[in-house]
Amino acid sequence: MPVVGATFADDVAPILRRSCAQCHSGADRASGFSVETVESVLRGGARRGPAVIAGHPEQSPLIQVLLGRAEPRMPLGGVLPEGEIHAISEWIASLEHSAVAGLGGQRTADLLGPPQRSVAPAVADGDWPANPIDAFVLARLEAENVSPAPPADSRTLARRVHLDLVGVPPTPDALGRFLEDDAPDAYERLVERLLADPRYGERWGRHWLDLVRYGETSGLEGDGAIGNAWRYRDWVVTALNGDMPYDRFVLLQIAGADEHSKTRNNYAPDPQGYIPAGFLRLAPWDRSNLVAAEVRQNYLNEVTTATSSVFLGLTVGCARCHDHKYDPIPTQDFYRFQAFFSAVQTEDRQGAVKRPEVPYDHPAFERLAETKIAQYKKRVEDGPEKRELEDLEEALRQRLIEVRKREAEGRGLTEKDLRLELRRDDSLLFSGSERRLHRRLLDAAGRTNDPEEQEALKAYEARLLVRLKRAHELGEGDLDRRFEALTVNDVRAAVRASYSADRPFSQEEIDRHVELTGTLDVFRRRLARWEPVVLTVRNAPGPPSGPPLPPVRVLRSGDYRQPGKVVKAGFPSAIGGHSEPAEMFTDRYRQFPTRGRRFTLARWIASDDNPLTARVMVNRLWQHHFGRGVVETASNFGKNGSGATHPRLLDWLAVTFMERRWSIKDMHRIIVLSRTYRQSAENPGAARNAADPANRLLWKFQRRRLDAEAIRDGILHASGGLNPEMGGPSMFPPLPEDLADFARYGRTGGLMWEPNEREEDARRRSIYIFQRRSLPLPMMAAFDAPVFSESCERRSLTTTPLQALSMMNGSLVHEEAQRLAARIRLLVGNDPVLQIETAFETVLGRPPDSDEARRLSRLEGSLEALCRVLFNSNEFLHVE
Amino acid sequence: MPESMKSGITRRDLLGKAYLGLGGLAFLDVMAAESLRSDPLRARDQQLPAKAKSCIFLFMEGGVSQMDTFEYKPVLKQYAGQRMPQAANTVGEIATFSAAPNRVIPSYWEFARHGESGRWMSELLPNLAGHVDDLAFIHGVKVDNNNHGPAVYHALTGNQLPGSASVGAWITYGLGSENNDLPGYIVLGDHRGSTIGGAGVWGAGYLPAAYQGTIFRAGSTPIVDLRRRSGISAGQQQAEMDALRWFNRRHADSRTDTSELEARIASYELAFRMQSEAPELVDLSGETEATRTSYGLDDPVTEPFGRRCLLARRMVERGVRFVKVLHGAGTDRWDDHGNIEERLPKHCREVDRPVAALLADLKSRGLLDETLVVWASEMGRTPFDNNLVTPTPGRDHNQYGLVVWMAGGDVQGGESFGETDEFSVRAAGDEIPLRDVHATILRLMGLDQDRLTYLHEGRYKRLTDIGGRVIDEILA
Repeated sequence: MPVVGATFADDVAPILRRSCAQCHSGADRASGFSVETVESVLRGGARRGPAVIAGHPEQSPLIQVLLGRAEPRMPLGGVLPEGEIHAISEWIASLEHSAVAGLGGQRTADLLGPPQRSVAPAVADGDWPANPIDAFVLARLEAENVSPAPPADSRTLARRVHLDLVGVPPTPDALGRFLEDDAPDAYERLVERLLADPRYGERWGRHWLDLVRYGETSGLEGDGAIGNAWRYRDWVVTALNGDMPYDRFVLLQIAGADEHSKTRNNYAPDPQGYIPAGFLRLAPWDRSNLVAAEVRQNYLNEVTTATSSVFLGLTVGCARCHDHKYDPIPTQDFYRFQAFFSAVQTEDRQGAVKRPEVPYDHPAFERLAETKIAQYKKRVEDGPEKRELEDLEEALRQRLIEVRKREAEGRGLTEKDLRLELRRDDSLLFSGSERRLHRRLLDAAGRTNDPEEQEALKAYEARLLVRLKRAHELGEGDLDRRFEALTVNDVRAAVRASYSADRPFSQEEIDRHVELTGTLDVFRRRLARWEPVVLTVRNAPGPPSGPPLPPVRVLRSGDYRQPGKVVKAGFPSAIGGHSEPAEMFTDRYRQFPTRGRRFTLARWIASDDNPLTARVMVNRLWQHHFGRGVVETASNFGKNGSGATHPRLLDWLAVTFMERRWSIKDMHRIIVLSRTYRQSAENPGAARNAADPANRLLWKFQRRRLDAEAIRDGILHASGGLNPEMGGPSMFPPLPEDLADFARYGRTGGLMWEPNEREEDARRRSIYIFQRRSLPLPMMAAFDAPVFSESCERRSLTTTPLQALSMMNGSLVHEEAQRLAARIRLLVGNDPVLQIETAFETVLGRPPDSDEARRLSRLEGSLEALCRVLFNSNEFLHVE
Repeated sequence: MPESMKSGITRRDLLGKAYLGLGGLAFLDVMAAESLRSDPLRARDQQLPAKAKSCIFLFMEGGVSQMDTFEYKPVLKQYAGQRMPQAANTVGEIATFSAAPNRVIPSYWEFARHGESGRWMSELLPNLAGHVDDLAFIHGVKVDNNNHGPAVYHALTGNQLPGSASVGAWITYGLGSENNDLPGYIVLGDHRGSTIGGAGVWGAGYLPAAYQGTIFRAGSTPIVDLRRRSGISAGQQQAEMDALRWFNRRHADSRTDTSELEARIASYELAFRMQSEAPELVDLSGETEATRTSYGLDDPVTEPFGRRCLLARRMVERGVRFVKVLHGAGTDRWDDHGNIEERLPKHCREVDRPVAALLADLKSRGLLDETLVVWASEMGRTPFDNNLVTPTPGRDHNQYGLVVWMAGGDVQGGESFGETDEFSVRAAGDEIPLRDVHATILRLMGLDQDRLTYLHEGRYKRLTDIGGRVIDEILA
């Protein structure tokens, strides 16, 4: 039986919330009865007292009113489906049997208060704890009469800690060195090596990218690149590898380049800060939307929601339209929070707001980038493809001139002909000033939909057309030459002319044109990727250099067309304790009135005084080590979240985190050195622990499937095919041939999936895969790694036949199995016994036993087959 | 309390419980990580009585012009070439456009009444017109955005911003699948390229990945990585699978808490069966010549979409829960800003015979009763020329003018609900938000929008967001 709190939260609370909370919650709870928490349900209402009698559903008032045995039947005017009543009954029946009541427990109020410094509790088995974590965990286990698991064996532990900290299993050499190390601190030193390994940043950087909805394309029409998001990705990896204090890590992402530098001229912010501020600009982006106010409001809503859930574990998104139903977050607070971003400017459609250039801070990388830029510039401007395209377009232009000339024969002149003639510098008919005036009118009419502009153009053209027609009749002005004014732009329009019936070119010519422009487009994209322009946000200048910032208003129903009252930037009242405006950090002379808003917010979040920031982060770290956080809903510390299984442990971790100057690596160290972490995944006392089958109390290490990245990286790592290069623009692993059609955006569109600059780029670690939002790699998607449009705090771990197909038949396993087999032959020659041994050591980190060696040597003929089987095995695909 | 509950819940216990369909779904979501892992696609009972077991969702990308297909608006002739009066109550881009000096274009095509219901249909869809008595129409549906990207997301995931679960994912989450050897939710993509949003509009969003749509490609190996690698014989793969099973078995037998390990062993068996089941599914050689012809496989214009429609029938026949059939990609879609006179007939021709054949075929096999067929696009179009720099007339986007029709299951054929004004700009009566259409689709599949929820980011998410009205006017 699951424990009380958990069952209530999982299957009773949703029913009550749906069917009863409308009347029985909040301040106006009917009859004083509230269904909001397990405590309030147990307490009951004014009329009937406790709503639940533990172990006796049939006697519980709650069930009686639901069944109609007591009046009035609830919910008023309706009947709960039998199954739901059954589920509630089951829960009530379980209350008596529960050995571990109250487990699910700690709720908003506690999690929003400051973390309490707690002393490790006393435990009966005083020898077991290696550090305070163990004392908290063991105290809980002892209270429930549950025994912890024995320690994992060294091989298992080494594989686990490698996968956890650097994302790939140990090589046989690394494993061998560890196993032969008899020193008492062998494990400690292994942990230190791994924490110092640059692959650590790639592993934990990937976890962070999930959270910040990292993607590299708009996700919407055309799914074009949103900018050089990879600079942000590299910043994250570098920051984590350097153990940047978490408060600084947070501050830069919210307020990069919004800080007041004390050392720079004019208090100018450090431009390197633009890179982490990319966090504020990573979400999908609809560049085709013409309604600026809507684009702006969508942006502000997204960034408000993301910032609060990523850093604070608060789901303020609900409060956009109405007061939060479960947490104390009124709608007004959503917009007060949003107001911290009111100075933010994103690049606009007109290109008036430019993305900043931020130089590479590593000289070698800068040189590489310069070389690449020069190379692609040349290729784009004067490469073979460019020259061929120019020749082709010129030939097509000549054809277009002929075709248009022919079409014009025998038909009257229209404004089309007029516009062509007006384009000619050497027009005999129209003067330079007439041509310039027409150009102005045409531009104005094309830019706006203003009827007056349209009419003005029409009228002017009508006048000129009369002259054109007269000249035509008289055979004056050499009018046939007007077609020479057709340009390559007309050629391109004709190639793309899906709206037009007449296509003057052959399919072959069109295909070649599409191919050449597509190829050049890839070079252009590479050029753009190496240029030091970053994806970020800037501050609007504000007065005196710009217009004042528009006030932020509460929006009714979250609709930008229904503005309500003006609010000033302020912190959520549930945490800050009041609804006063926040005091802004400004520069000493208030020269830059729009600067410092985000900085003010960031300082408040990244602070020892914020009750949530440290708790939320240590919980995330815990989650990636154990598979589940102390608070299971890691981005929701509110009432609708799971609550904490070990609230005092969470507090201890949070306080320790801050005391250790927000060092993430210190927290890893403490966690992986704990005895709790080092437990085996098998506990001989498991039968006794049946009350907690989900292992919430941590009476063993929870075995779990590897995530998509660890699977792909692990295969490449074992085969020796992994290209360990770090950083730089993203790469494109080969797409299955079956998806070739999907690699293009429509028939005439650009490539969705590009060739790599170098073949070996395709074998870099998974964090470097180009994150195209509309086209995730099938294998990665099958293993639950979608490309993210929203923050994802925890991936689901599913098991589907598509995963099996990608592992059985996909190119990755096949190619790497071949590579591994070849490597093994090189190492040990053709001795089958040695081959099997080496394959096991390399892929699984252990030798085969005699049964395995015998059975698998029968595998028809090939070492490759054996490698495939090992890559597909549950043993390889799980960490334990 | 049952004995099994005391000794720890097993997945079978849970999934077998009667309450699964109700509290169960909300229950499922929190249990997702533990329980669904082992058999997420197991078939589940409907929450409400409904005849439809499967859904075929025909999606026309680009915005189908309603006044040239399903809405007869004779007044457009009177206003031909003139400005239409400013449309009332429009906001956003459509308001801007209708304020601009755009000229009304009457439909180029003739309309006539069809069927016993006497519904007006344009001559562009002559075959579909023969089925109007099976179709129920919803006119004047409002979409949240006037651009393709967000509108496609809205139509297919209920939210104009990326990140939400698609309609098919919700339905598969609610009902599982009847066929273990095929994916529960299949997407038949356009042969011309990727649709807007790609995986994002048939993805699972915040739901577990098992509910995402699986793309079926044209050709004999419809699923990515379905085919054995060249150079590996069937016998060889069999031997490898045997060895793998043996190895995994041994691994699991020496461990406890193995439900996930067992599920993965089973998933390889499923995958192995899928390798023969899926090619059989897409092999149309068993279909009669008459069937193939009816779907238009004999004509290169209708062949691609005809093949997808025929495949969709074969899928629902085999118990696939949700099939999304896409039409249009890149610039070759229903987005007729210019030259509508030639473009629209082309796209209509591509789909008319196939869709009509699908309806007839489902009916003759007795499958129409248990299959919900939905036709939708992401928006409608304007009655006026859109003033883009196109040489020939066309129509602009209109987020107020979407037409959706449904057939099969409990749909009342011949019905229609909602009506646009005489210019076909927006609903003449109450606005019909798109979420009402989604609520109706769920209802027709036996699902209750209020009970099909998933806890994400502190909120019980649902397809219809703030809740839609089931349009019971079109239900039988």
